[in-house]
Amino acid sequence: MSEHKFQQAELADLLGVIERLAGELSLAEEPARFAAALEDGAPPAGATPGSVTPG
Amino acid sequence: MLEASSLAAVAAAIRHGKLSAVEATHHCLERIARVDGRLRAFITVDAERALAAARGLDEDAARGRWRGPLHGVPLGFKDLCVVPGLPTSCGTRTADYFTADRECTAVARLRAAGAVSLGKLNMTELAMGALGDNPHHGHARNPWTGEHCSGGSSSGSGVAVAAGLALGAIGTDTGGSIRLPAACCGITGLKPTYGRVSRAGAMALSWSNDHLGPMARTARDCALMLQAMAGADPLDPTASAHPVPDYLADLDAPVRGLRVGVPQNFFFQELDPEMERGVREAAALLATLGARVAEIRLPDPQVLNDVTGLISRCESSALHGGLLRDRPQELGAFTRARLELGLAVPAFDYLQALRLRARLARGFTRDVWSEVDALAVPVIPEPAPPLRTAIEGSLEDIVARQGRFSRLTRPFNGLGLPALSLPCGVSAAGLPLAFQLVGRPFDETTLLRVGHAYQRATNWHTREPDLG
Repeated sequence: MSEHKFQQAELADLLGVIERLAGELSLAEEPARFAAALEDGAPPAGATPGSVTPG
Repeated sequence: MLEASSLAAVAAAIRHGKLSAVEATHHCLERIARVDGRLRAFITVDAERALAAARGLDEDAARGRWRGPLHGVPLGFKDLCVVPGLPTSCGTRTADYFTADRECTAVARLRAAGAVSLGKLNMTELAMGALGDNPHHGHARNPWTGEHCSGGSSSGSGVAVAAGLALGAIGTDTGGSIRLPAACCGITGLKPTYGRVSRAGAMALSWSNDHLGPMARTARDCALMLQAMAGADPLDPTASAHPVPDYLADLDAPVRGLRVGVPQNFFFQELDPEMERGVREAAALLATLGARVAEIRLPDPQVLNDVTGLISRCESSALHGGLLRDRPQELGAFTRARLELGLAVPAFDYLQALRLRARLARGFTRDVWSEVDALAVPVIPEPAPPLRTAIEGSLEDIVARQGRFSRLTRPFNGLGLPALSLPCGVSAAGLPLAFQLVGRPFDETTLLRVGHAYQRATNWHTREPDLG
């Protein structure tokens, strides 16, 4: 495959994935929610995973 | 035998007067002079200023003035970090490709904690590429064989630490570039949470996926470095104000009861058998230490790879498109192809990818961190491959090879999650095996604690290559 054709195929694959998944997004979903997802997913201050779930 | 010492051990020796900063620095410089001609870990060695800084630190110590926990410890910095007085090539042919008004914040913080700068470390061109090759500065050589990939893009950082040329290094990680060379070279490397370490004064490749982090011999060393590097920075609006904990306070705490997930899907598919054995044995050892190790099914990591990859392509082309436009002949074929791909992505798809990333991060937190406290997964799909064959072939071959080699690290860039790479064995060919621990956002403390417990029970991190 030529370099140009290879890049076109690679691009088509990537865009296909994005466009298929993006169809499920709601109007409220914006990029800035990523930072909020990190903050919300952090353990509470002072929490020590493991010590609260003894085996 | 300073080359086999951990950063923590050298810092303690200096603190207790058993070693001077000049002795530590001189040792590293002598070793660089002796072996780096073949390893190519450094692009710029700053010998005179390193020794001058070390002399100043020794004078301070003699007066009882200690700069911080890294007092006198020689470090190296990836050549995309701005260090005043030194060029910043970013692995390109242009010596001063990247400039900034201020010193890289992470470098400045390490130096404020007492570290000595040895100079600037080799890397792949523009921090693209997973294997460690560089057409302009020479391929950074894996110190275990000299013939195998060092891993990229922070190739010089991995080689310098593994070969004992520096006690620690800064790496950057956009798709695995701290963890891949750490795994290939048999050292410990931490990609912190997105925003945990300021990116100010470091060349960006993809502002959404870039992370700076420590590379060193042990988890304790990484904790010491991260303690100095982490925290908010007015020079980087993406640096998080999330409180920085004491990473050393709980380092020796037991891991009993900690829930560690081993994925059923994706991560062990098409994995080299030796690598699989090493990673599964590492997980089993964590179980013997009291961790509750169980299988878990993860949200599709390939989707994360696709979304993260598209975002990186677009942002890197926006940042470095000028070089592609003005001097394409200076770029290697792989870098040029990656930048060209980014130019062809419609804005619509880039923005959808950013929206998807936020959804995927939230979904991962909901589905995974409710079940486990950390994940244990492989870093690289096979031990470091031979360099000669890894960089041969058509563009299609090379792109596919690079993509395969970073497929196990890239998902956690898109998610922004902390991930710690640790050596966990050695292949029949004598090359390091490695696994990574992945944790909740801003929970580097747990990863370092588990990594430290693992390293107290094993000695893979204490092996050193024979460099003559």
